[in-house]
Order: sequence, then structure tokens, then C-alpha cells
Amino acid sequence: MADASLRHSTASAQDQNTILTNNESGCSKAQEQPLRHPLGGITPKIHDVTEKFTKACNALEVGQLVKDDYFTLFESIGAIEIMDPKMDSGFLQPGETLEDDYDCLTPLLPEELIGIMDQLLCYEMAWHTGYPLSQTLFTSLYIDKLLWPETRILERAQFYRGDIPDDKRPGPLLQVLRAYCLALIKGCDFVIAKIAARDYFEEEDFCTQTYNRVLFVSIPMDVFLRELDSAMEVVEDESLEINTALRSAIHSRLEFRKDFLRAQDLDLPLDLISYSWPTILENLGTLKNTHQLGQVVPGAFSTKMQRRLASTVPPRPIVELEFKDALEKLQQLCTDCKEATRFISLPQDPLEYQSFLWFFASRSPAPLAYSRSYLATLLFHPDVLQTSVSLPLSDVKTLVFPASPVLDPVNWTFSPPRNPMLPKPPRLQLAMLVDEFVDRCGQPYLDLWVALGQNRCRLRRMLTHVITGWDMLQADASSVDADISQAAEELGITDQVLEFSLSTWVYHKKLWMIEKIILLGFEQDIYLPDEFSGMYLFLSLIATRRKELLKRVEAHYLRRGEQLLKSRNLRDAQEVDDAGPYLDSLLAEAEGVASLSLALARFYIILLYLHMLPLPKRPFAKEELRYELRMKPFLSLQPPEAPPFEDFKAHTQPYGDFAAPDPAFQLDLNDMASDLWTEVDRHLKAAKEAFADVKKMGPKAVKAEGVATAWNKDVQSALASCIALGVAVAGVKGAVSKTNAASSESLGIKVVIPESGAGKRYAEGWIVAKILKME
Amino acid sequence: MEDQKAPETKEEPDLQYVQYEPAKEEQFLPAIRQLISKDLSEPYSIYVYRYFLYQWGYLCYMTLDANNSLIGVIVCKLEPHRSGTFRGYIAMLAVQETYRGRGIATNLVRLAIEAMASRSADEIVLETEVTNTASLKLYERLGFLRSKRLHRYYLNGNAAFRLILYLKEGTALKRPDPAGQGHGHVHEHGHEHGYGMGIESGMTS
Repeated sequence: MADASLRHSTASAQDQNTILTNNESGCSKAQEQPLRHPLGGITPKIHDVTEKFTKACNALEVGQLVKDDYFTLFESIGAIEIMDPKMDSGFLQPGETLEDDYDCLTPLLPEELIGIMDQLLCYEMAWHTGYPLSQTLFTSLYIDKLLWPETRILERAQFYRGDIPDDKRPGPLLQVLRAYCLALIKGCDFVIAKIAARDYFEEEDFCTQTYNRVLFVSIPMDVFLRELDSAMEVVEDESLEINTALRSAIHSRLEFRKDFLRAQDLDLPLDLISYSWPTILENLGTLKNTHQLGQVVPGAFSTKMQRRLASTVPPRPIVELEFKDALEKLQQLCTDCKEATRFISLPQDPLEYQSFLWFFASRSPAPLAYSRSYLATLLFHPDVLQTSVSLPLSDVKTLVFPASPVLDPVNWTFSPPRNPMLPKPPRLQLAMLVDEFVDRCGQPYLDLWVALGQNRCRLRRMLTHVITGWDMLQADASSVDADISQAAEELGITDQVLEFSLSTWVYHKKLWMIEKIILLGFEQDIYLPDEFSGMYLFLSLIATRRKELLKRVEAHYLRRGEQLLKSRNLRDAQEVDDAGPYLDSLLAEAEGVASLSLALARFYIILLYLHMLPLPKRPFAKEELRYELRMKPFLSLQPPEAPPFEDFKAHTQPYGDFAAPDPAFQLDLNDMASDLWTEVDRHLKAAKEAFADVKKMGPKAVKAEGVATAWNKDVQSALASCIALGVAVAGVKGAVSKTNAASSESLGIKVVIPESGAGKRYAEGWIVAKILKME
Repeated sequence: MEDQKAPETKEEPDLQYVQYEPAKEEQFLPAIRQLISKDLSEPYSIYVYRYFLYQWGYLCYMTLDANNSLIGVIVCKLEPHRSGTFRGYIAMLAVQETYRGRGIATNLVRLAIEAMASRSADEIVLETEVTNTASLKLYERLGFLRSKRLHRYYLNGNAAFRLILYLKEGTALKRPDPAGQGHGHVHEHGHEHGYGMGIESGMTS
């Protein structure tokens, strides 16, 4: 899914090698390349076109452009202008030298060694946050020396190449730095391998570009650990004259590097992974406390290194991350990875996995690309997903097939009749239908999991695509359902099977995703304040649909439970009973979402009529078209989810135009017993009760036991949002009843929309306006 | 509350709004480049400007003062998009710092929208930095909505909002024309393309 996008054009341009001229075909380096590497001994022919070209150019007016259809915007953005200092990295200002005159063999002070190590860590973390190596680690002259010219023998990867006089040989502290750098580089190799093996977006999530440097791919990790061990011996050696504090600061940095490299090891066995991160986390304090012992060595890093890396990329500033911030990032990375290692000990249940993935993606601050890839690697690890039952099937069973004859193991024991023309036994048909459906589920199921591993913005957008896949799955599920019900009829067990069971399961998951898409939209500030009421209303509609769907399932459970009790099948009756808490919890949660969003919708409608929310004039926009744009991700769904515009308008503007509301608004506003107010209160009360029920049922019921803490916090924040809304409603009511007025100016209150991502909302997806008294 | 401080589109007699044309390249391109690059950490090569102005010069408008000096400029394109729509794109918008706050940018955007609408655009899109409130306000006042948040969209690591204005009914339902591959534009990576580098900077209202 590598997605080299135009926005970071020039880095991508490097592959394009386009320094374009406005002649007809362009003389790109891509075409030159074969000339430099003749294949199979073919002698290249060189045609001098200078004269032709000059002549052709002279026939053009200034400003007249010859452009073929293959010259794209992508290429135009990738182009640079030679001799423009902002674009041409080879351009030298008067007196500027091409390369740095820093000597990597000059002996270092221990303070300088610490300074360089810490600076390297800053760049390493800057790289982790998404900046390219060229603006971070690869600005280090030491790293450049180790990597270039390339050597496949580690002993030759030195701060020099070839022979040097003995008195120039690097001293002990330079040897220590070398070991540190080597391990750091190998760590980068591991990081790139881990991220590149998963779904990620190049340059958006992370930059894997190494500018033709090979990060010791083929050298095993042990070699680097040994280098670190000998470096530690050097530091421990009493003959090294150095003060104790510095000695131990250097030592702890080497230890950190060793622990970190081991944690990043791609082949670390699953049973060891959970031990790797806590050790690092425990020792971060030492790095922090000894940082001030270091001394910066500015000459050890240089933007000029970029010239050596890629000639077609404009010079870009080094990304400076403060040591304190770098450590914070490192701590976050380790904590997230530590959390991810818990994945392998989760109960083997796809719904537990789903909860884990959802809450991991919801962590704040958002996990870095590496941590997300780390979890994804575990998720798709063959030893982790070793279950006897297929994951989608287990998911289906939990919701729609507890103690169901459709999944009776006996069904899988029948053999098809010898004569293929003869009908198959209905029980065998059931087994085959289920197998077929489970097979069909694989991709959409995987797509959902992949989406859950993306950055937050992508998650929202990917889900809008994932639901399209689930929409098609729903259509297929319906036809399988028809076949199932026919087989059930033949067996005379129709009353034991939930009607449309498979499509119910698919539809439920689809609706859940739609709810998440809308909530993520609020979280990411996609909606403007005057859209809040409409979008919360839509959310309420979707959650209500899900609730009704679940009610149907509930009715089936009751019926089925009774049947089983009547027939004294206590074991199966127990199984249906056991499925109850999950269903109840889903029902309560759907009720909570539906009610809170409806209460919010009604509250924001009041604010709009009171002219307390910004309402742009929008001279170029039609209301209907804005609605179409908002509903775009849902327009193709079946059954249709987006209500017709007229319905939507009638519900979001019950008193007509916001600028000139129907007189009934004024009456209802001043009547605290009118629906205008009581409906808000009623839904808010229902929301509170529902979320309180969810909380009471606990994380186990909803299959979020593995993330109980995060889940509890989530339910709590929904409850807090309810309370905040209650306060806000009371604020408006109080002002209205006091003044009998109908506009914000005279009400003496104002509305503040808490901003996202700043800890000002109880839940990022539930935007509850604050009502403040005006001074 | 009406959106406060909507800029008065004052008639400023000294300023005139002029459509760009290729014959004006020598006279105006250097000034256009200078005005737009001012706030960019990395300037665009001349080919980026030519790419737009050569093909869609008629969607470029300039604000000039009495001496014909460039005060503001807007650069756009309009072409079939792989989603199946006929999509207008506002690529660059800049107004000289001393002239900001007078509604010049708004006027330029209005002219561009009208020009694209008259050429049957289905929609108009652009990206702007999530922190650029002035720019967001300007477009949202005119009717644009936020459709997406784009993670680390700019070179400086900042996120962007994609803003969209629909001009025609049924735009959301348009699908790619299977035969219509390549309108001379190869979207090599199937990405949502953008032009990055804070192209919408230099903007107030």
C-alpha cells in the first residue's frame, strides 16, 4: 500500500529522476540510465541533438509551451531548477564548501560522546515520527562513514576506509561510538523491515527510504550485540581514565542500545517478546537524568550530507527534536509495543481481538507507525491466530448461532450422495453453506482488521471503503440465508433458526462501522458546528437501526431458550443463556449511542435557532448538495442508510429557516414542558441509563476483557459526556427562562465548542458544547 | 449568530481583477512566483506554474493595483478526476501581506468558483493546513465543507483538511468511467494527490 504521494513530491521525484525541459520528449535521467550500465555488452549510441533542439526552441515565443500528455503534475512538482539555492542541493553559496571538514577520527571527550549519542537518539525518534532519514539520522557524519562506501564486512565499517597510520586509529571512545552507531543502524534495518512488511503509507506514516545505503541487512544481530559488549568492556576498563558519572552514563546508553536492538529483533520468539519492553522503560530515567552530562558536537551532523544521498531533492532542514521530546516519543513507542505484546495472551476470540485493535488504535497519543506495525505483525503471526474454529465463524456464532442446529458438528459428518444428480442431505447442505459463507467473509473481515491498524485519519477513510465490501457481503449473506432457511425447512427446524441470521450478523457489523465513521468524523473536526445536529441525528438513526436488529436477535434467543428448556436440552439452553450478556451489552451500548446522539442533535437544533452557533452564509453552496457530500460514503449502501434530503431537512429544521423560525419555536422555547425541551431530557436520561448498564455489565460481557482499563475509561467518558450535556442544557434553559428572550445577545450566555485532541472533550467523538455566562 | 466579521467585499477602486493569459507570462509570472513562494519552505519549479497556467490560464485570476503590480493571485485547474467527476482544484492562493483582511482572497476565490461553475465543474476541492484558521474560515464561509483529514500531509509534518464544494447534484454518485483511463494524467500511485508545502499559505481574509 505504499503511497508515494505528490505532496512530498521531491522525495518521490528522486525515483522519477525528472529534471524536465520543455522540449518535446524530455531528456530524463531515466532514459540515460541504461547508457551508464550497458547490458549484455551492447555499445550505446549517442545522438547529439543539441543543434536540433536549439533550432526548435528558437521557433517558440517566450511563454509558449510545448507539453505532451505525459508530462504530469507529478513530474512538474518533482522538477527542480539548477542553480536555485532553495531547490538545487548542489548549489554553493559564495565561499561555501561542498563537504564538511569535520574529522570523524578526532578523539572525543566523554562528554562529547554522550552528546552525540543523545543527539542520534533525537534523530532516531524524529525519523520514527515520519521524517526521512536524510533529515534525521543520515545527517550524522559518523553514520555516513560507516555506511559509505558500502562494505559487507562489518570490521571494515569504520569511521575510515582502508589503511591509516597507527596514530590516527580511533581511540576507545570512538570505538564505543562506532558500536553504538552500528547497533543503531541495525535497529533501523529491523524497523524498516517490520513496517514495510505491513500495510502502511510511505511518507505519510513513515519513510523507509535509505538512499541506496544498505543497513547491514545480511549481518545477524548477534554480531552487533558482541560489538556492544566489547564497547561496554572498553568503558568498564579501569585503565580508561574517565570520571565515574560519565562512565556510567555511557555504559547505560550502550545497555539501552542493546536492549532496544533485541526488542526490535524480527526473530524474537513470541514467548520472549513481553520481556523486552519493560526493561527499556525502566532504564529511560537514567538516560534522562544523565543527559545534561553530555556536550553537543554541532559539527557531527550536517545538512550537507543530503548532497551525498540524493541529488534531485532540494536541501531540507534537519528535523530538530528536543531530547526531552525524543525521550517522550521513545517512551510512548516502548509503552505501545509493550501493550501490543499483550495481544498474544488474549482469549482466543475474534471479538476480543477486535476490541483490542479498536482500543489500541484509540490510544492517545496515537501510536507511531512502528508500534502499529508491531501489533499487526503479532496479529497476523501464524502462531497467534492458530484456532480450531475460523475467526469469522466464531464471531458469527457468538451473535446469531448460539446452540444452533446450523452449526451442529454433526452437519459436517455427512457425505455427499455418490450420484451428484441426487440432492444432498439438508444437514450437509447447511455445513456447506456455512463453509462457503465463512470463506466469503475472509477478505472483508481482514479489511476491517487492516483498517484498524492504520493512522486515525486513514482509519476513518478506510472504514468508508470497508463498509462497501461488507455491503456486498451482506447481499451474498442474504442469498445464503435463503438457502439455509430452505434446508431448515426440509429438516423441520425453521423455528430453531434465526431468520436472516448471516445477513443480520453482517448488517450489525456494518452499522457498527458506520457509527464509528461518524464518531471519527466528530473526533477529527470534519463537521462544522452547524452540521453537528444533522450528523448526530444521522448517528442516532444508524444506532437505532442496530438496536432494532439486536432486538430481533434477542427475541430469537428468548424463543430458542424456551424451546430448549421445553425439550429439556439443558446444555444448549445454557449455551443460549451464556450468549445473553454479550447481546445485552451490545443492546445497551446501541441504546446509549442512539440516545446520546439524539439528545445532542436536539440540543444543537435549539442552539441553531437561538443563533448561538456560527452559520456561514455560503453563497455558493446549496443545502441539498452539502447533504449529498456528507452522505457520500453511505449513498450506495443497501438497505439505504441516508434518509432523503426532505426528511433530513424536516427533522433538522423543525421550525423552518434558522434565520426566521416559525413562531411556534418561541412558544416551545419558553415552555419548559414542550417537546423541544422534554425530548432532550428524555433521551439524555435514556443515554445515561444505557451507558450505566453497559458499565455494570462490564468488559467481559462485551468481549473487551483484554482491554478492560481502556474500555472502562471509554464508557466512563460517554457517561461524563452525558453529564456535561445535562449541564449545558440546564445552562441554556436557565438563561431562556430568566429572560424570555430568543437570541443569544439578550440571553447573556455564549457557546464554546471544545477543541479536539486537547483533552477538552470527555470523549473525542462526543462534542458537547459548553455554555458560559457572558461577562 | 451570523458568522462574524465576514469581509466586506468593498469596492476598492484602485484594485482590479484580471484573468491571466499566456501572453502575460513574461509580465506576471515572476511576480506570481515570488508572491506564492514567499511562504513556502520549498519553492515550486517554474514547471509547476507553467503546468497550471499553460493549461488553465483562464482559471487564474490576479489582483492588480493601479500600477499593475500584483497584489493577489489564484491558480486552479479543472479536469476529469479518476473518481468520475469533473473536478476543479484550487492549487494556489496568495495575497500580499499588507493587503490582507480586505476580502481580496475571497474575491479571487469567488471569481475562480464562478469560472469553474460556468465550465460545468461538478465540484471544487482544495487542501489547507488544519491550523490555518483564516483559510478554513474563508472557504467555509463560501460554502466548502471538510471532507477528509489528511495525516502528515505537508512536509513540515502538519495535517490538512480536504475541502469540497459540490456544484452539481449527483456528484457523489458519479463513478469512474471505465473507458476514460488517462486524461493525459497518470495517477501513478492511486493516491489522493495534493501539492503540499503549504500552498494555501499567505492567506487571510
